[in-house]
Amino acid sequence: MRTRAIEPPRVPRESPVVAMAGLLSVLLSGLLPLPAEAQIGAVVVRSPRPFGLFVGDRFGATVEIEAVDGFAPQAASLPKPGPLTYWLDLTAVSVAPGPARDGNRLWRLSLTYQTFYAALDVRRLDVPAFTVTFASEAPRATTSAVAEVPSWPIGVSPLREIQPPPVADPVEYLRPESPNPRRDPALPGALAWAFAGLGLAGLLALARDRAWWPFRHRPARAFAAAWRQVRRQAVRRDAEAAYREALLALHRGLDRTDGRRVMGEDLAGFLVRHPAYAALTQPLDRFFRASREVFFGRDPSLAQRDWPMPDLVATARRLAAAERAANAGGHS
Amino acid sequence: MNQIRPADAALTDWRQVALRFEAEIAKAVIGQERAIRLVTIAIFARGHVLLEGDVGVGKTTLLRAVARALGGAYERVEGTVDMMPADLIYHTYLAEDGRPRIEPGPVLRRAEDLSVFFFNEINRARPQVHSLLLRLMAERSVSAFNREYRFPYLQVFADRNRVEREETFELPAAARDRFLMEIGMEAPTDPGMRRRLAFDPLFHDTDALIQEVAQDVIDQASVAGIAAAIQHGIHASPALEEYVVRLWSAIREPGQAGIALPDVAMDALVQGGASPRGVAFLIRAARVRAWLEGRDMLLPEDLRAVFPETMAHRIFLEPVYEMRRESILPALCRAVLDRVPAP
Repeated sequence: MRTRAIEPPRVPRESPVVAMAGLLSVLLSGLLPLPAEAQIGAVVVRSPRPFGLFVGDRFGATVEIEAVDGFAPQAASLPKPGPLTYWLDLTAVSVAPGPARDGNRLWRLSLTYQTFYAALDVRRLDVPAFTVTFASEAPRATTSAVAEVPSWPIGVSPLREIQPPPVADPVEYLRPESPNPRRDPALPGALAWAFAGLGLAGLLALARDRAWWPFRHRPARAFAAAWRQVRRQAVRRDAEAAYREALLALHRGLDRTDGRRVMGEDLAGFLVRHPAYAALTQPLDRFFRASREVFFGRDPSLAQRDWPMPDLVATARRLAAAERAANAGGHS
Repeated sequence: MNQIRPADAALTDWRQVALRFEAEIAKAVIGQERAIRLVTIAIFARGHVLLEGDVGVGKTTLLRAVARALGGAYERVEGTVDMMPADLIYHTYLAEDGRPRIEPGPVLRRAEDLSVFFFNEINRARPQVHSLLLRLMAERSVSAFNREYRFPYLQVFADRNRVEREETFELPAAARDRFLMEIGMEAPTDPGMRRRLAFDPLFHDTDALIQEVAQDVIDQASVAGIAAAIQHGIHASPALEEYVVRLWSAIREPGQAGIALPDVAMDALVQGGASPRGVAFLIRAARVRAWLEGRDMLLPEDLRAVFPETMAHRIFLEPVYEMRRESILPALCRAVLDRVPAP
């Protein structure tokens, strides 16, 4: 019988359980050369991770059994899924024939266990041994052989933390710190600045296009300012005063656009100088007529009947839009 | 309510007459629509007019045409250095019997019927003559032969050319302020117009040209009544009154109004002028302009149209700038109109 024992961890890190995780697999092997059963060769138990198991964990094991070609495991002799002990269940069993070599065939038994052992400390438990009966597949043969699979140990760990063994100097409890990864902040920093700059530039461009602060008082955006004022006036309660103020706002917008005072008689000249507003000839004409009635006429209330506030607001909006389009196109 | 109300039918009829008057003048004087319009405004505002301009641009022709179309009596004198006020009022001569005689002079000759008194080259006359003219313009009356002569229809048209400065006398401020307008006349710039003026024989003979103008288009005697009706009929709103006040203070204190002209210290530019009378004249002229445009309300456009002509000549600049008057004042008027918000 050949056995390779679990090596105790040389450098335990966080806990014994985790320390054992450093080992990738454990190979337990048992050679059972029973004299009477020469048909069975080596029996090897391979358990990928026989340690660090918590309550409820599933763990697998592969049992390789060498048998003389012509012998096959009897299905009835395979371990049955179900509780094995009070703390261990077998949940799945499968068997598959492997390659034949030198007249022997390797049978591979895949076993899945589940532990219910609620460990209070790290401890070693043994998975119970079992036997598998191999029978000759020849017709009317009665020869059979029993392969004995030995028990093998597993390490179970408690869910709760473990009191480490007392040491003289508590500093020894501290593990050496893993070195911090050294990351270069230059590239992310540069990217952050670049994106911030890009965003700011975009915001500035948008603010300029929409004549927001700090571009509110650009001479080229006189109608944008007028439109803002008209919008403010439109919600005022005193309709008469609001109408007057809105008219004045539009007057100032025209004045600033032209760089001089634009009066009703100048409308044709204004449209020649600023062809961008040619589409608004009619509303502008009505605007000047309304303005005359309000500011210079005998009956200021007439104007609102001919050209109500919503028309005024719409004209202001169209003027601002025309202005924006003209400036975007590079002419006005 | 842009049109004149039907109730003011007389005003509407008179407007047609005024437009016909303009058309008649335009037959004799081409390319001077603005000057003609301003003279018409002056007639219906009952104001005196000072014409200023280069020699040979048609100042005299315009005034002769106006006098012909305006009807009423017409007198004309030429300003000279040795002219004295008495020369205007009295005509002294030796009669056939060898005895000296004194008859009424050019001003008194037509007595009350005098409607157009045309003073040519006014800046050649002496200040004594200017002061007589001042009374004639301001009060439309003069004392002579121990009695007072009244001229209810009188309108003084004067011209001065701006080329010569030797042996001329600048009009005193008070006399200048009494002119409703100073109209500058320039030769037309349109090439077609210039070709016509140079080659069309019609414009070579001024007398024949004046004969083209229909006589007595306007009944001079009723102008005073219609002028008063215009002043009452054209509505000036509070907003417009505010605009006028703003204009007034801007032209008096251009520096404070934020007006800047190149090479001019704005705070030390205007010495005086722009009198209340001047502003009243401005409104009078603007109302007539509104009426000629067929409106019954006064607009900033009307003020702007007559502003330089009615205001510029009554603004007196600091002596440093007086020599550059011709360039500074138009720029100042333009700047004021461009600066003051309307409404």
